[in-house]
Amino acid sequence: MSSINNISIGQSLTPPKMPTFGGEQTGGASFKDVLVDSIQQVNSMQLQADQAVETMFSGGEVNPAEVLTAVQKADLAFRLTMQMRNKLMDVYQEIKDIRI
Amino acid sequence: MLSNIFQSSTLPVLEQVVNFTEARHGVLAGNIANLDTPGYKTRDLSPALFQQRLKEAIETKNEPVSPTSLGDVADLSPGSMPVRQETRQIAAFDKVKDSMKSILRHDGDDVSMETQVNEMMKNQQQHNLAINIMSAQFRLLRAAITERVA
Amino acid sequence: MFSSLDVSTSGLVAQRTRLNAISSNIANMSTTRNELGQPEPYQPRYVTFQTDNKLSTPGGGAGVKIGSVEHSNEPPKMKYEPGHPDADARGFVRYPAVDMTTEFVDALEATRAYEANIGVIEVTKNMSDQALRIIA
Repeated sequence: MSSINNISIGQSLTPPKMPTFGGEQTGGASFKDVLVDSIQQVNSMQLQADQAVETMFSGGEVNPAEVLTAVQKADLAFRLTMQMRNKLMDVYQEIKDIRI
Repeated sequence: MLSNIFQSSTLPVLEQVVNFTEARHGVLAGNIANLDTPGYKTRDLSPALFQQRLKEAIETKNEPVSPTSLGDVADLSPGSMPVRQETRQIAAFDKVKDSMKSILRHDGDDVSMETQVNEMMKNQQQHNLAINIMSAQFRLLRAAITERVA
Repeated sequence: MFSSLDVSTSGLVAQRTRLNAISSNIANMSTTRNELGQPEPYQPRYVTFQTDNKLSTPGGGAGVKIGSVEHSNEPPKMKYEPGHPDADARGFVRYPAVDMTTEFVDALEATRAYEANIGVIEVTKNMSDQALRIIA
């Protein structure tokens, strides 16, 4: 995942552009891209972990600790992405409820 | 649809492993109980055979379904394909269950209490591994369903 | 997967075989006739160990197996007992060349080795149980 850009002190004093949802900021990936990218990564990590488990139980020479670590990493990556998605839904709900 | 949730990850494989380890545990416990019985031949369920069948079942499951492999099904509507694949997957794992019915009989050399206990311990480790991974999978599914992370 | 358990078990089996040979030696310390009833002293048995590379762990460890069960070539102990039914012409009886002290020390060593292997098995089991905590 690419990190959110830090705001450095030396930048100009013009107010920053309001980040539109899904729009491109000047010099960083948007939140949407981060989310989509992490979903794909989570999927590939899950597939890798599944493959490691299958290899281990059908007689392959893998270290059980490695397999468990892979499973746990995939698990945590999934939960992190899920949490990001939840926050996104909350933000959307809030914005939707703004009365103009 | 509901049963497909449980086919997508490693759950079928883990279920087979747990079944095998439990069956083998019973056989090994019988061996240890009969250590001093005269004329007793120890029995075992072959883990090598089980792993082979499991490997074949996994490969069957992972094969991409192509229209030609469905035989004489000319109807390629979306409804027909998943059923075929599912029956093939279930049939593949049935072959694994068959491997649990073949009991090996040793003829007595190199069989001692230590080897039986050793086999039982290895069997237990495998069982615990499978159970723990399975419960982790279930927790993950539950997190996805309830949309709650923790 | 858990090949270190196999290696330790091979150690247990080997030490137990050794202990069997030692107990057979001690039991037959005074045996002056063989199984056919002829006056021939018992020959002490010795077990040799051999590294078994078929039982190997991924890191390079190897198991142990019994190389051979040898009969000792030491000459029998002669004791002067003219009244013994198995005494030879000069009145000497041939007893097996079994030194009880040596055998007992070997038995202790085999027992300690057996316990050490059991200790290794405990450590292995503990490590696997801890590994399960990754996922819990």
